[in-house]
Amino acid sequence: MLGNDIVDLEQAHRDSKWERKGYLEKIFTLTEQELILNAEKPSAMLWLLWSMKEAAYKAENRLTNERFYAPKRFSCIQPAMDGTFNVKYRDRLFHISSAINEQYIHSIATLDLSELQRVHINYQQNQPDYAQEFSYLYPGYSLKKDKAGLPAIINHQTGMKHAASVSHHGQYLAIIYSGSLLLKD
Amino acid sequence: MDKAELLNKLKDIISPYAQDKEALEHISEDTDFIGDLKMNSANLVDVVLDIEEEFKIEIDNESMEKMLTVKAALEVISAKI
Repeated sequence: MLGNDIVDLEQAHRDSKWERKGYLEKIFTLTEQELILNAEKPSAMLWLLWSMKEAAYKAENRLTNERFYAPKRFSCIQPAMDGTFNVKYRDRLFHISSAINEQYIHSIATLDLSELQRVHINYQQNQPDYAQEFSYLYPGYSLKKDKAGLPAIINHQTGMKHAASVSHHGQYLAIIYSGSLLLKD
Repeated sequence: MDKAELLNKLKDIISPYAQDKEALEHISEDTDFIGDLKMNSANLVDVVLDIEEEFKIEIDNESMEKMLTVKAALEVISAKI
């Protein structure tokens, strides 16, 4: 299962005053707060960790269909010193891959490491007709919601489906879909 | 404080974070912060902090977990004031 989250850094800067009292404590574990406050660019670290938690929550939500707001219970951990992160939630460990630049931070979470390595990523402008735009960019494929309301990529020729996840914020939109096929309808 | 008064206060608190202003005008107990008001999930914590300040209450993480709708937020506030 997969989930993703994109943060438009300019938008986040406009919308969130994370320096306010209580903000960090409500969302981040002590270890995460230290990472943020000791970082060269605290706000970039903050949105990186946030996007990981949110991506993992979305993957978890796909598994259980349960909605809740508990970012602190999704903890970012660094198993090695190589810069990679995992997000732990209860007994589940999510594998994370992130992209960082001056404009946005994007994180992807999957349960299987092999799935993470085969995820397809497509960045687009955040606009209402993004699904049509996707079909235009990938002729023969379309982005649709399945019966449960979850996004999937469908190959028109074969009818085969891939689990997908869409995230948008500010100017940016990311569509990711699994390299493996979705078996259940 | 009665329910209508409480809802009005809550509406004022969430108004700066609600991106769908029309949905905000039609706010009811069933309104979903993210689904209906198109609120960014990173701003949900601001709503929680603003509620704490406005009502002088403390909202623990367990209560915060449920606060995705107007109904849930009202329940949390009512239980603590």
